[in-house]
Amino acid sequence: MSAALGWAGVTLGFAASVAGLVTLATGLIRRRPALLRLAPVYALMILGGALLATAAMQLALHTNDFSIRYVAENHSRATPLLFTISTMWAALEGSIILWALVLAGYVVAAVHRFRRRREDPLVGWATLVLFAVCAFFFGLMVGPANPFVQVAGAVPADGPGPNPLLQNHVLMAFHPPTLYLGYVGFTVPFAFAVAALVTGRLGEGWLAITRRWTVFAWGFLTVGIILGAWWSYEVLGWGGYWGWDPVENASLLPWLTGTAYLHSVMVQERRGMLRVWNLSLVLATFSLTILGTYLTRSGILDSVHSFTESDIGVWLLAFFGATVALTIGLIAWRGDRLRSPGRVDSPVSREGAFLANNVLFAAFAFVVLLGTVFPLLVEALQGDRISVGRPYFDRMTTPLGLALLFLMAVAPALPWRKASGELLRTRLQWPAWAGGAALVVAVALGARGVAPLLAFGLGGFAAAAAIRQLAVAATAARRAGLPRWRAAVGRANGGMIVHLGVVLLAVGLAASGSYAHSTELRLEPGQSATFAGHSFTYQGMETVELDRKRRITARVEVDGRQVYEPALNQFFFARQAIGTPSVRTGFTHDVYLTLISAPPEPDDPAVIGVIIQPMVTWIWVGGGLMALGTALALLPGGRRRPAEPVRAPARGTAGPPPDPVADDDPVEARA
Amino acid sequence: MSWRRWAPWALLAVVVAGALAVGASDGGAEARGVDDRVRALAGEVACPTCRGQSVLESDAPTATAIKAEIRRRVEAGESDDDIRAYLVTRFGPGVLLTPESGGLTGLVWVLPVVGLVLGLAGLAWAFQRWRPEEAPPVDAVDRALVERARHRGGEQRSSGGTGP
Repeated sequence: MSAALGWAGVTLGFAASVAGLVTLATGLIRRRPALLRLAPVYALMILGGALLATAAMQLALHTNDFSIRYVAENHSRATPLLFTISTMWAALEGSIILWALVLAGYVVAAVHRFRRRREDPLVGWATLVLFAVCAFFFGLMVGPANPFVQVAGAVPADGPGPNPLLQNHVLMAFHPPTLYLGYVGFTVPFAFAVAALVTGRLGEGWLAITRRWTVFAWGFLTVGIILGAWWSYEVLGWGGYWGWDPVENASLLPWLTGTAYLHSVMVQERRGMLRVWNLSLVLATFSLTILGTYLTRSGILDSVHSFTESDIGVWLLAFFGATVALTIGLIAWRGDRLRSPGRVDSPVSREGAFLANNVLFAAFAFVVLLGTVFPLLVEALQGDRISVGRPYFDRMTTPLGLALLFLMAVAPALPWRKASGELLRTRLQWPAWAGGAALVVAVALGARGVAPLLAFGLGGFAAAAAIRQLAVAATAARRAGLPRWRAAVGRANGGMIVHLGVVLLAVGLAASGSYAHSTELRLEPGQSATFAGHSFTYQGMETVELDRKRRITARVEVDGRQVYEPALNQFFFARQAIGTPSVRTGFTHDVYLTLISAPPEPDDPAVIGVIIQPMVTWIWVGGGLMALGTALALLPGGRRRPAEPVRAPARGTAGPPPDPVADDDPVEARA
Repeated sequence: MSWRRWAPWALLAVVVAGALAVGASDGGAEARGVDDRVRALAGEVACPTCRGQSVLESDAPTATAIKAEIRRRVEAGESDDDIRAYLVTRFGPGVLLTPESGGLTGLVWVLPVVGLVLGLAGLAWAFQRWRPEEAPPVDAVDRALVERARHRGGEQRSSGGTGP
């Protein structure tokens, strides 16, 4: 029953995507607006197919329909409700349903948003590209990664359930959907970038149209990555949150190019420059989400997160190759229209800072990509097995991160076009002293090491610069007779709040990466020990037999107050025990407890791992602030009169390009 | 009077340099405790039987054994480099998560630096190219025109800049 429903949904989605693609292509090439008006019909059919497939999979999971192979391999009767829902994205085939569902949602939203411009070729081509991407993902489900395939042979009575790591924490229900909302969201700006290239309308119209979509996707990608780090920290039990694992890197890559794009797009809006570069960043961001999916789902890279693999790798690689070839071809074809009319007057200017930001983000992305795929390249060329991991990534990305912090401190104070020394001295003086003060305080508190100290100093500088911008905006709002909260709304102000979040995150990364202390305590029941100023008393253990696992919990009293319960879970079908750490969260540091080895008898000593992790909380708070800032940046800000006609028409087009932006998405707050 | 404008910045530079000089030394790897050294080293070693995890991150039996071996050697007084060298002879060069700096593998260190230098050089070249054109020569007629406009419209100065 659910298999039939699922098949129907997947087939409907695929058929509607292909039919929509053909219809729009005919409408665009033969110039028949009537066909373009049919887009919402196909979009709704695609969404219907995705919803049907999702409902079928959920139905199969909740009714324990083990005749479906995906359910038989990833579900068990004993899985609790929340993890039964999240089993849909616990393995490859199901996660493609989620991908298709999110994509279909974005397609319907985009078609609805641009409903008044359906006959506009730009919107038509963008919708066509969206349908093409839908066709690919539904095609995967119809063909090589069908989630509704039946089991071979007899239907099993029960299954093993999802990977134990994936049913240990509630974040598993939220991290993947959030991440997918980010990943998939970049499809919309990608579609408009391709449409701009095809139609030759390469002015700033497509940028303005997709600005909010990009910010929205970026915000979800940010939150998704941070939720993933938080999940690692709370579940994996080694006291860290980021392992430079290929899957983590794959999510960071589009984030890096997307962040670069969010900044460089302002240069094009303001000065009409960097057209090729902005197109390349959007196209690269989308391509990198596909490449990341390929790298982590094809099994060619080992990753702790790749919970299943299959032979869809070749399809993803082909899609990635086709995307890259198509986009490079389009840029080359439109090369004559992409010459920028603008110029940068001085490197010491807002646009100069954005350019430097882009070089640094591009280098950052290059380091992450190279480090991730380099072992493959060496093995292919030389046959040697080499590893590239944390030491490499830390050493290469620290200087880039510090340079980005410095830019974050200086750039908000820089005016467009050209800055005078006098202006910079005035604007940067107090932020710079705040940075110096942060540095001195850190040294006085005993922090050592050049890199973390620079992170604290530059972090203070950048935070003060962002606060200064917000204060300036608040003064401006008051003068204009507007309420004070206006100073926190809009792209520029929301962006400054995102910057504050980034500073908290950077300080947390630097502190926890540099000053963690750990020890292993071997304690008899009732025995106490002291480490790093905290006392730990082992009170004893208890064993609980659940129907699928044995849970051994140690009770550890910290500082004579609260009892924490690190545990080991022995799942009966898994060889390896899975630890559940217990964390005392604090403003200055976390106390992270793990049960390293369980005592064989209740009266034997237990080995308790203690990790003192400084300022990890700042990372999560910083992530929250980044999400808040992103939401504020999406709200309409204070409207500013365009200062001067700085946007010039593209060369090679007669007259100003017909970009009817104003009726749909007014360009606002161009600061 | 430029020294007065620069004085706060000079003072700040002295303060920052002083704080960094005090804080620069972290005592080196060997000054840390045994547990922290084990933790740091374990984070540099790939777990041979796991999927893309370091020994630090993994609970696999092999990883636990390697951690115990690192701890034994740290406690026996071996230096971090000795322990790394031991692990390489035991498991091969692929066991270290730090790629070698020589040969083909060295490219992983060199390429990003080359890329960054090229990127910055490209940016510098672009700024050169974008240098503002020479201002057109100003003659007496232009000056007179400006003077007349200023007298007629009063002294309307823009405040300049976007800040306060």
